[in-house]
Amino acid sequence: MKFWGVRIASILVAILLSFGLEKLGRGTDSFTQQLIVFAGLYVTLAVSLNLINGITGQFSIGHAAFYQVGAYSSAYLGIKFYPQFHGNLFVWLTLMALVGAAMAAVAGLIVGLPSLRLKGDYLAIVTLGFGEIVRIVIQNQKALGESGGLNVAPHTTEQPIMFVALLAVLCIAVCRNLLKTAHGLPFLAVREDEVASSAMGVNVTATKVIAFALGSAFAGAAGAIYANSLGFINPDLFNSTLSISVLSMVVLGGTGSITGSALAAMILFYIPEKMRDLKDVRLALIIGGLLAVGLAVSAIRYVIFNVHKSAAIRAAMHVGIIIGSVVIAEIVAFALGKIPALAGTVEGAKLRLVVSAVVLIVLMLVRPQGVFAHHEFSWSWVQKLMGKKAPSTEVAA
Amino acid sequence: MSAPLLELNEATIRFGGLVAVNKVSFKLEKGDLFGLIGPNGAGKTTLFNIVTGVYKPTSGDILMNGTSIAGTPANKIATKGIARTFQNIRLFKSLSVLENVVVGGFLRHKTGLAGAMAYLPPAIKETERLKEEAMNLLRIVDLDHVANVRSADLSYGMQRRLEIARAMATQPQLLLLDEPAAGMNPQEKEELNGMVRKIRDEHEQTILLIEHDMRFVMSLCERIVVLDHGEEISQGDPDHIRNDPKVIAAYLGEATEE
Repeated sequence: MKFWGVRIASILVAILLSFGLEKLGRGTDSFTQQLIVFAGLYVTLAVSLNLINGITGQFSIGHAAFYQVGAYSSAYLGIKFYPQFHGNLFVWLTLMALVGAAMAAVAGLIVGLPSLRLKGDYLAIVTLGFGEIVRIVIQNQKALGESGGLNVAPHTTEQPIMFVALLAVLCIAVCRNLLKTAHGLPFLAVREDEVASSAMGVNVTATKVIAFALGSAFAGAAGAIYANSLGFINPDLFNSTLSISVLSMVVLGGTGSITGSALAAMILFYIPEKMRDLKDVRLALIIGGLLAVGLAVSAIRYVIFNVHKSAAIRAAMHVGIIIGSVVIAEIVAFALGKIPALAGTVEGAKLRLVVSAVVLIVLMLVRPQGVFAHHEFSWSWVQKLMGKKAPSTEVAA
Repeated sequence: MSAPLLELNEATIRFGGLVAVNKVSFKLEKGDLFGLIGPNGAGKTTLFNIVTGVYKPTSGDILMNGTSIAGTPANKIATKGIARTFQNIRLFKSLSVLENVVVGGFLRHKTGLAGAMAYLPPAIKETERLKEEAMNLLRIVDLDHVANVRSADLSYGMQRRLEIARAMATQPQLLLLDEPAAGMNPQEKEELNGMVRKIRDEHEQTILLIEHDMRFVMSLCERIVVLDHGEEISQGDPDHIRNDPKVIAAYLGEATEE
C-alpha cells in the first residue's frame, strides 16, 4: 500500500538522519555536541509552545516551568534509581523523557484548568506567575538541592544527539499531523473565535487544556534530556528569560507556523552562541551598522506599503536596499573611524543580546506576522518554487 | 402527539434590573419556517443566546423534544442539534472557507485524537469524509468555487452564506439564523430568500430566523413572533402580524386604542 510505504520510508529517513547527525556530531568536540543537543531542545520547546501560543492562541509565557518540571523529575529519579539501573542508556533516557513528559503534562493540567477561563494579557500574567512559582518552590526544596541545584546522574558524557533529534522530529510530526487532520481544526477555531467555536460544538475548555497538556509534555520531555545532557541543573537555568526567548522564537518564526518555529529556534539559538567567539568589533562599525539597519528598515517598509509593482520587482528592490545598506554601513564606519573618540573596540560577545533584540525589532517593523506567518513547508510549495505544477497528493510523514 | 421540537415556556432573563426577555412562550414544530421580529433592543438576539446556551434563563424553561435544555453549555446544545449563525458575523477568519465548514461538521467525529496525532488512516479518512460533506454544503450556498479562499477575504454577503453552511454542517434539527440578510443589497436578499426556502424544503430543515427587513420576513416565514421590550406582543401568520395594531404601534410608535 502506497500510504504505508511512504509512511515507513519517512520514519526510516527520520531515524537515519538522526543517526547521521549523531555520527557527524561524534567527530566534534564536546562543546559543539552540546550545542547540537541544545539546538534540538530549543526546537522542541519552540514547536511545543507554538502549539499553545500559535495554534490554539493561548498566550503563555511560562514555558520554562514545564521544561523545569521535566528536568527536575529526571534529575531526581536519576539520583535515586540510576545506580540500580542496569539497562542501556538510551532506554533510561526514554524512560526519563516519558516521566518528564507525564509530570509536565500534569503541571500543564494544574495551571490549565483554573486559568484557561482567562484570555490574552490576563492568561499571560498567570502563566508568567506560574513559571515563577514553580522555580521558587523548587528553589526551596531540600530534596531538590535548593538554589545549589542537583548533580544529575547519569551525566551523559556522550551527548544524546540522536535522541534529541528524534524528540524534535516527533514533536514536529505530532503538531503537523494534528493540523493535517480535522482534529487540528478545533484548536485553530478556538484561536479564531471562542464563542463561534462553542456554538459549533467545540468544547473550548477541553481543547485549551489538551493543547496546554500536550505542549507541556513535550517541554517536559525536553527538560528531562536537558538535565542529562548538562549534568547539573539549578533553578536559575529556568528563569523567565528562557520562557521569553522561546516565545520570541515562536513570534519570529511566525505564530502558528511549525516550520517557522523550528527554524527560528535554531537561528535564534545559533546566532548568540556563535557570537561568543566574536573578537573585538570596532565601535564605528557598530554605529554604522545600526544606522544602516535603520535606513534599510525604513526603505523596506516604504517598498512594502507604497510600491505596487510585481513580486519580482519588489524582491529585487529589497535586495538592492540590503546591499546599499551594507555599503552605507561600511562608508559610515570608515568615516567615523577617523574620529578619535570612536576609534575603540567593543568585545564581540557582549553584543549577543543586542543582536537578538535588533533582529526582533526589525522583524516587527518589516514583517509583524513572522517570517513564515501562517505558512508551512510542503513539497508542493517547493515544486511551485521550482516552476512545476503542484501535485494533488502530499507526502505524509 | 409528540412533543414540539422547541418549546419556550415563559422564558425570562434579567440582567440586573433590566428584564431583557420577559415570559416569552412559543412552540416550533418540525419543518417550521419561523420568524422572530421586533424593533431594535427588543430582545431577539438575547432570546437566541438563551436557546443556544450562551445565557441561562433566569426563570422559565426551554424544552427540546420535550426535555429541558435550559442552562446547558453552548457546545452541548450544538451537539443536541441546535445550530446558529451570528448577527455580527463570527467566522474563523484566518481559516479557509472549507475549513470553516469542516469545524461545524467536526462534532460528529468518531476517531480519537491519538489517531490524528499519529496520522493513522481512520483519522485521514474521516477528514476526507468531513471535507466532502463540507463541499456538498458549500454547493448549496453557492460557495464551492471559493472553498480554499481565506474566509476573511470573502464579500459580506458570501460571509453570511458561509455562516449558514457552517451551522448546517453540524446537521442540526433546528437552525437559528440571526439577521441573515443584514447588510445585503436587494438582489442578494432575493437570492438568500430563495436559498433559505430551498434549505427548508429540500433538506427538511426547521428554521427560526431573526430579521429586520419586513418584506423579507413576510414573504419567507409562515409563522412569526413579535417581541417588543422583551415581551411577546403578537404571534401568528404574516397577514395577522401585518394587521395587528400592537405590532404597528411597536414599529411606528403610535398609541394603541385601549
